[in-house]
Amino acid sequence: MCQKDKDYSQNPSHFEEIHESVSHRDLNWEQYRGYIEGMRFFDPHVHMTSRTTDDYQAMYDAGIVALIEPAFWLGQPRTGLASFKDYFSSLVNWERFRSSQFGIKHYCTIGLNSREANNEPLAEQVMEILPLFLYKEGVVGVGEIGFDDQTPAEEKYYRAQLELAKEAKLPVQVHTPHRDKKQGTERSMAIALEHGLDPSWVVIDHNNEETVKSVLDQGFYAAFTIYPFTKMGNERMVKVVQRYGSERIMINCAADWGISDPLALPKTAALMKMHGIDDETIRQVTYQNAIDAFGKSGQIDEADFANGIAIDQSLKMNGNTILRGGQQPLVPRESLLIK
Amino acid sequence: MFLQNIHTLLFSILRNHVTHPEWEWIDQKSQAPALELMTAFVAAPRFLSKQPLELTTEETLQINEVYPGFSLENWNPIRLGRVCLLMSLDTSEQETYVRHVETLFDTAEMNELVALYSALPLLSYPEKWLFRATEAVRSNVGVVFDALALQNPYPARHFNELAWNQLVLKTIFNDKPIHLISGLEERVNEKLALTLADFAKERWAAGRSVAAQVWRLIPPFVNGTLLETMQQLFQSTNTYDQMAAALACFHSENVEAKKLLANFPELEKQVHHQKISWADLEFSNLNTYVSER
Repeated sequence: MCQKDKDYSQNPSHFEEIHESVSHRDLNWEQYRGYIEGMRFFDPHVHMTSRTTDDYQAMYDAGIVALIEPAFWLGQPRTGLASFKDYFSSLVNWERFRSSQFGIKHYCTIGLNSREANNEPLAEQVMEILPLFLYKEGVVGVGEIGFDDQTPAEEKYYRAQLELAKEAKLPVQVHTPHRDKKQGTERSMAIALEHGLDPSWVVIDHNNEETVKSVLDQGFYAAFTIYPFTKMGNERMVKVVQRYGSERIMINCAADWGISDPLALPKTAALMKMHGIDDETIRQVTYQNAIDAFGKSGQIDEADFANGIAIDQSLKMNGNTILRGGQQPLVPRESLLIK
Repeated sequence: MFLQNIHTLLFSILRNHVTHPEWEWIDQKSQAPALELMTAFVAAPRFLSKQPLELTTEETLQINEVYPGFSLENWNPIRLGRVCLLMSLDTSEQETYVRHVETLFDTAEMNELVALYSALPLLSYPEKWLFRATEAVRSNVGVVFDALALQNPYPARHFNELAWNQLVLKTIFNDKPIHLISGLEERVNEKLALTLADFAKERWAAGRSVAAQVWRLIPPFVNGTLLETMQQLFQSTNTYDQMAAALACFHSENVEAKKLLANFPELEKQVHHQKISWADLEFSNLNTYVSER
């Protein structure tokens, strides 16, 4: 239900004419920049490893000051421990640095994703190296973990990683399945409670209208992924916030290697604003709640990004790398000249 | 003996700059078994402050005396604490010791790598870290590169000429200040000087500049090609380039270089009277990739 915007204009009153069934609207920059002026965003779920420098620049321009990159699968299964190790390492090393060059503070969660939990011999080895990464600076949780096909192996490693999270005093970021979502979500929560986790330390991700009530009622954080076609649309998201308010609700884009939108958060904020949702509510669901939830790790210092991160000249590298000296994370994209 | 001295000094400096609970933590972990110590290395930001260390003048002088070329400038207690932990690893069994350090390198995040590279000149079996050290020179992560290349005595002591020249060239290429490379003057060589001349020509052809201070690497080798390069440099519209050419010719033994300098009497007078020196060209915030015009 992704519709192109046709009769859309900056006049909010036009929204009243929009047909009820619209679930997602794409907005272009000129259409929404005015609505989010001065807002800052914290995107608690985005796979930057799969994104380009253009995305980083656009995210920075749109007010995203910090993000969390959860460990996930890369679109095809890994065949050995070393590729897991290098991937985890890249999340705390190269990608963190790359992000900093575009003025965005980068955090991550580390975990064995549900799909690859099904390769048990490899999963065993991954479990052994997870503690090496979980205690690292800027690792704000165990994630994304949970169910995909809901197999016994997935359950085994989900449970084992909940124990790791308890041990390391880290929040948990739970991926919920695309198929049999409602049952899978309930099961994920029941198991977390069974392991004695405080639900306020657990973020249940990829919610929809069907799952949100139970998640909130049981004291968990409810994250919503604005990812057209397979997850939530932003028009639907506006309605969820109108109905449930802002408490323990957070929005993310989960942008990855699929057709996804790293600007889903600012666009949804603009849409909420157009629909008359107050600024404080928008701030809670697009910034503050994510910081509160993942800040329990003790690894988030808002002062590091609240006023934009200082792009330290001494951090810069020239030549064949991403930014040149003195260059701001902005390249005039309309320019034909490459100096 | 030397390592013992610097070990004692770094621990005492750390102690002066952390709270009592922080000190207790580091003191206990530095005596822990290897795996616990390594976990503490990783977890240090959970226990130590990231506020910059404000060293006293006396402390800076002490470091300089015990280990010239080594510096704690812009360090924080996390970095110093990690280095102290690394220095506390049991070194009696070389194989085990090397394996432990390699494991830390293999799984390190950015700031851990910074600490590891800062500690290289303080670790035992220094020749064992040569490959790791050249990996830092290949790194595109600015802070990691800096931790090895700048204010670190390891490369000058252990790199062969090829690796050393790569480090210096990459520092220039990355727009980093070469005057912060420890042992720069001692390791000048003709190959490096000639490569610099080629490098400069490429940069000038692209309408870019070269930081004037790099020419301090050439005086002993000014001849032929480099003499031509100096002629070009004197013609530059940039005053710092002209100063660099004057200094390079002045410090050269070559008669032709002296003659060339004599064509610019005003500059010649200034270098003779020590009105200008290489120190005047030491800038840290370089930006040579942006065209001047």
